[in-house]
Amino acid sequence: MAYSDKVLDHYNNPRNVGALDKSSDEVGTGLVGAPECGDVMRLQIRVNPETQVIEEAKFRTFGCGSAIASSSLATEWVKGKTVDEALGIKNTDIVKELALPPVKIHCSVLAEDAIRAAIGDWKKKNHVSEAVEVAVAAK
Amino acid sequence: MSTTLTTSAPATCWACSTALGESPLLCVACGKVQPTTSLDYFHAFALARKLQIDLPGLEREFHRLSRRLHPDRFARATPQEQEWSLAATALLNDAYRTLRDPIARVEYLLKLEGLEIGEEHAGVNKRADRQPPADLLEEVFELNMQLEEMRMTQKMGESDPSLQRDLKSARTKFETLLSEVDNDLATQGRAWDEGDAATRPAAAKAMAALLDRRRYLRNLVRDVNQVLGA
Repeated sequence: MAYSDKVLDHYNNPRNVGALDKSSDEVGTGLVGAPECGDVMRLQIRVNPETQVIEEAKFRTFGCGSAIASSSLATEWVKGKTVDEALGIKNTDIVKELALPPVKIHCSVLAEDAIRAAIGDWKKKNHVSEAVEVAVAAK
Repeated sequence: MSTTLTTSAPATCWACSTALGESPLLCVACGKVQPTTSLDYFHAFALARKLQIDLPGLEREFHRLSRRLHPDRFARATPQEQEWSLAATALLNDAYRTLRDPIARVEYLLKLEGLEIGEEHAGVNKRADRQPPADLLEEVFELNMQLEEMRMTQKMGESDPSLQRDLKSARTKFETLLSEVDNDLATQGRAWDEGDAATRPAAAKAMAALLDRRRYLRNLVRDVNQVLGA
């Protein structure tokens, strides 16, 4: 199976690889996995407490090229968005942008889950009550 | 990939109308090869859909049927029979390879039962209930980080004995977890075999979750070995 140019670009030149201080109140951490293939993905966001804008995002993914590309793209997309805007990112947007084949759709699902888990973690830390995402507690 | 996994083979030989006994691939009465359309692997060996299998028996049966279905034996038969013997031989090989491997056997049986297993089904299968437990993810992530560190150290031509030790103990730990999963799979497999229509879905679900967990552990063992062996 051939990867699209966009996947290859993110894979060879991943954006925002790294870690943020997990213990900081401004940081939300999402750790998710895809049992189908054994991938793990950690996505972290740093949120401005005043504006609720995601100012920084980092990821670390152990998995295939599509999983790495999906999470790299996800960090690019969430930056500059408010947490609520970021929740609007759908895995299908990632599929489209990266031209993922059907067998790799779960990589995009994983990235969406990671965004939600990170935002969920941040909300929990900051007692932002919203029942939107109880299901993706992933904790 | 074939999606017709339902069992609907003719019950009698097309040539002599004798009921097909030991294997639906071959008529015991007249020795004619049978069409293989949509036979499942268990059925090819005339086995019930059960997970505990007599392996020496399976091997004997594989060799016996292979000999009798070999395309060379049908060199002078009709083109139709030649084609069937090729198809039957291919099916028999696939069936044997799958059924003799305990993990492939479980995966195959769960697929027959309509559960989504493995990577090729992953796209269809949407999230949440399939998220692995958080502690497993933490463990997997940590070990991957350690492995990464080890790779970097190796690249720089240094050897760090404490990291080496950590990796070896991690390997032992993950191998232990892997064998626990295999034990649990065997237990659920017995529950499946001895169960009925009411209890089997629970066993199947448990086995699907165990296979998920196993995939993580298998990757970890593979990655640790790769770093340690390099």
